[in-house]
Amino acid sequence: MTIPVTRPSRPQTHPSRPQTHPDHPDHPDHPDHPSHPITRPAAQVHFGVFFQGVNHTTIWSDPESGSQTDFATFERVIRTAERGLFDAFFLGEGLRLRESRGALHDLDVVGRPDAITQLAALAAITTHIGLVATQNTTYNDPADLARRLQSLDVLSGGRAAWNVVTTDNAWTGANFRRGGYLDHALRYERAQGQLNVARQIWDAFPDSADGAGSPGSSDGGVAHVSEHSDLFDVELDPTTPRSPQGHPVIFQAGDSPQGRDFAAANADVIFSRHGSVLAEALEFAADVRRRAVAAGRPEDDVQIFPGTGIIVGDTPAEAEEKARWVRWNQVTPATALSTVGNIWGEDLSGYDPDGPLPAHDPVVEELGGERGSATTGARTREIAAQWRALAEAEHLSIRELVVRNSSERGFQGTPAAVAEDLVRWVRTGAVDGFNISPWIVPSGLDDIVDKVVPELQERGAYPASYTGTTLRENLGLRAPLTRRAAVGAA
Amino acid sequence: MPSSPFFVGLDADGAGAHPAAAAVARLAGTDLVSGTRLARTVRQAENAGLTFVSFTDALLPAVPGSPASARLDSVTRAAFVSRTTTAIGLVPQVPTTYPEPFHVAAQLASLDIAAAGRGGWIPSVTRDAATADAYGRAVVGDVAREARDVVQVVRDLWDSWEDDAVIRDVATGRYIDRERLHYVDFRGETFSVKGPLITPRPPQGQLVVLASDGDVAPVLDPAGGAGPLVDVTLVGGSGAATARGNAVAAREHSPLTGIDIEVVLDAGGRTGADRLAVLDASTPAGVRSPWDTSALRHVGSAAGLVALLTELATPGPDGRRPVDGVRLLPAVLDVDLPVLARDVLPALRAARLTAVPRPGASLRESLGLPRPANRYDTRVQADALSA
Ligand SMILES: Cc1cc2nc3c(=O)[nH]c(=O)nc-3n(C[C@H](O)[C@H](O)[C@H](O)COP(=O)(O)O)c2cc1C
Repeated sequence: MTIPVTRPSRPQTHPSRPQTHPDHPDHPDHPDHPSHPITRPAAQVHFGVFFQGVNHTTIWSDPESGSQTDFATFERVIRTAERGLFDAFFLGEGLRLRESRGALHDLDVVGRPDAITQLAALAAITTHIGLVATQNTTYNDPADLARRLQSLDVLSGGRAAWNVVTTDNAWTGANFRRGGYLDHALRYERAQGQLNVARQIWDAFPDSADGAGSPGSSDGGVAHVSEHSDLFDVELDPTTPRSPQGHPVIFQAGDSPQGRDFAAANADVIFSRHGSVLAEALEFAADVRRRAVAAGRPEDDVQIFPGTGIIVGDTPAEAEEKARWVRWNQVTPATALSTVGNIWGEDLSGYDPDGPLPAHDPVVEELGGERGSATTGARTREIAAQWRALAEAEHLSIRELVVRNSSERGFQGTPAAVAEDLVRWVRTGAVDGFNISPWIVPSGLDDIVDKVVPELQERGAYPASYTGTTLRENLGLRAPLTRRAAVGAA
Repeated sequence: MPSSPFFVGLDADGAGAHPAAAAVARLAGTDLVSGTRLARTVRQAENAGLTFVSFTDALLPAVPGSPASARLDSVTRAAFVSRTTTAIGLVPQVPTTYPEPFHVAAQLASLDIAAAGRGGWIPSVTRDAATADAYGRAVVGDVAREARDVVQVVRDLWDSWEDDAVIRDVATGRYIDRERLHYVDFRGETFSVKGPLITPRPPQGQLVVLASDGDVAPVLDPAGGAGPLVDVTLVGGSGAATARGNAVAAREHSPLTGIDIEVVLDAGGRTGADRLAVLDASTPAGVRSPWDTSALRHVGSAAGLVALLTELATPGPDGRRPVDGVRLLPAVLDVDLPVLARDVLPALRAARLTAVPRPGASLRESLGLPRPANRYDTRVQADALSA
C-alpha cells in the first residue's frame, strides 16, 4: 500500500491530520474510487528527469550531494536515466538569479549552465534519451533560438525538445538589450510568433539532400522565412537542415488559461504542475483535451507530463521515514524563515524557526519579497491568510508549516506500491508520463531506475528497450503540426 | 611574454574555408553538418596535435537558398565535441553585433565547463543589413564599438561569480556567499546588463578571446585593471612580410598574436594551384563572401608550408618570434587536414617548434596564458593596493 501522497509528513510529536485521508476509498483521490475508471488499460508509463539546478527541492547539505556545476554530475544523472530508459532529460532556465528582499537568494542550489550548450555536450555521450531545453520566448530572438534548437536536434540525431516558457517580467529584462519591454498580456502572443518563425525555419530545408518534399521547400532549395506582425519583423534564409524527427518536440509549461490554450494549439507535451493529486490531474487532463479538440486537434495529441517526486523504501514505514527526512532537509531552518519572510515581506531571520508565525500580519507590497519565482502580488496576501489558518489549526511552527506545505508532492511507498500508483495515473488517462525531480543529485534517480522501473516492467507498463531513436518516436508522438498534410499525402 | 610553444589552430567549419568547398566535396544539408562528421573532423584535428579548432559561423548562409550552405550554431557544435575530445581547444566564432550578450556569456561559460577549460571565443562583427533584418533590428553602424561593449560585458559576467562563491555552509543554511557574487551593472552605448550571470565562473576564469585585428574597438579604460579585451589578435597580410609586420604591430594591444593562413595544399596527385583553380571555378554565383579575404595564403606543398611556419616560429635577432602562432583555414577540410596531419604538424613537432596540447590542459595553459584574477575579487584588489 502506498503512503498516500497527500498525507502530511510531519514530526510524529504532532497529532495526525484529522479525517478525509485519501487512503480511504470514499475519498475522491483514492485509487479505487469509482470516479477514476481505467480508460487506457495498455498505456505505458514514460519518465523524464527534471534536473532542477535551483530551488530548495534539491538537497545540497547531505554528504551524498554532488556538485551542481561539474559536468560529471549531469553525466551521472543522464546516464542513470538512459539506463532506466527515460524518454527525456530536462533542463530548466531562469535568466536572472533569484532574489529575496533585494539581495541574491543564497539558501538554495543555484548556477545553471545554458541549457542548449549543456545538452549538446550531453548529446555526444548518450544515444536515445531526449534532451529538453527550457527556453524563454520573451528574451530570445526567434531566428537565433530556432537555429540553436535545430542545431541540437541535428547533432543529437533527433532527440531535442524545446520547453517553451514565457516568463516576461521586467526584472529579468534588466539582463537584456531591450529591457523589460513586453506587457504581461502579450507574453503568449510573442510566444506564438516565436513558434511560427521557428516552424518556418525548421520547415525551410528540403527533406533530404536531393530535395524531396518539405512544406517550406518545393524545388530542392531552402525556403525564405518571413514573419511580420505587431511583435515581429523577421526576414531570413535559414542554414539548419532537418533532423530525423522533423522538428524539435514542443513542451510547454504554462498554467494560466492562455498558457493552456497555447499548449493545446501548439505543444506536443505539457509539463504540468499537477503531479500529486489524481483528481486534480484528471481534471487538468480533461481540460487540456477539451482545449486540444477546440484547437482542431485529436484529443490525445497533447501529452501530459507532470513534474513530480518519487520516494521509495523497502517498507511503507521506511518510505515514510525517508520522505520525512527529505522534507526536513529540503526545508532548512533558514529556508523556513526565508520562505515565510518572503510572504511577510520582511526579514524574519531573527525568528525561531521552531516557534510560531509572526504575531502581526504581513505588510504586502504589490510584488512580494521574492523575485524570480512565480508568486506575485495579490496572491501573497491570500497565501499568508491560508498559512496562518493552517498553522493555527494544526499547531505548526514556522518550519513545520513550510515542511507541511511542501509535503504534498509526488509519490512515496514501496517500489511495488509506487509502480501501482504510476500505472493507475497513466491508465486512468490523467497523465502520459512523469517528469521526476530528484531530491538529490547525482544519485537521486538510482532507486527509481533500479527498483521502480523493474516493477513497472513486471506489470507490462514500461518498455524493455527504447522503441525508437528519436524523442518523437519514443514518446509516440505524431508528426510535427505543420508537416501532417505532407505525411498524410505520402 | 610567455615563452610557450608556437600555436597552430585550425578552422573546422563545414566542408572547408573556400566558398566552394561544400560543392566540390559534394556535401550538403545534414551530410555536411552531422554530428558524426563533426566529431570525426575534430578528433582528426586533435590527433594531429593542433592547439585548437575554431568554428566559423554566421546566422545567415553564404548562398541564400542553397542546402550546401547548411551550418549549425557554433557554440552548440563546440559543446557537442567537448566530450569527444580531451586536449584540443574549442573556439566558436560568435558575432557580437546583434546577439544578446547575456546569452553569449552563459553559453560560452557553459562550453568552458563542459570542455573542462578548453573553451575560447572569436567575437566577430556583422556588417550586412540582412542580419539586421533577421533580428528585426536597425542596422548597427559602429560594429567595432558594439563588439567592444559586448566583449567587455561578457568578460564582466564571467567574473560575476568568484571562484569560491559556492560555500555550502550547513550551519547557516547558505549555499552561496552572496558577497562573492556581483551585479555587473554594465552600461554600454546601446544596451545595459544587470548580472550576475546565471552560470558560475568558467574553469579558465576567462575563456580565451581571439579576434581579427580591428573587429573589437580598443578598451575604453585600459587603466581600469580588468585586463585586455582580446587575448589573441589574428592578423592577415597579402604576403608573409606584411603579415609579420601586422603581427608585430598588434603586439602593442594584445598579449598574443597569430596569423590567419589559408591553405590549399598539394594533395591526391594534384597541385594546390590546380585545386584552387577548380574551387574558384566552382564558386557558386551570389556567394556572400568570396575567397578574397585579407588572410595570408599558402598554395602549394606541405614542405613549403612547413618552411613558412618554421620561419614564423623562429625567434628573430631580438630573441622574439614575430608571431605567437597561426590559425590555418583549410580550403577543403577533408583534403587538407589529412596532409596537415601527415606532413606538416609532425615536422614542426620534430623541430620542437610546436607541442601537442596535454590531455586535460586548459586552452590558456596550451597557449601559455595565465589564469586571470577576478576583477571583482576584493581581496585581490586589496593585495594590489598594498603591494
Ligand atoms: C512544472 C513547471 C516548470 C516550469 N519551469 C520553468 C523554467 O524552468 N523556467 C521558466 O522560466 N519558467 C518555468 N515555468 C513557468 C512557466 O513555464 C510559464 O512561463 C509561466 O508560468 C508563465 O505562464 P503562465 O502565466 O501561463 O503560467 C514552469 C512552469 C511549470 C508549471
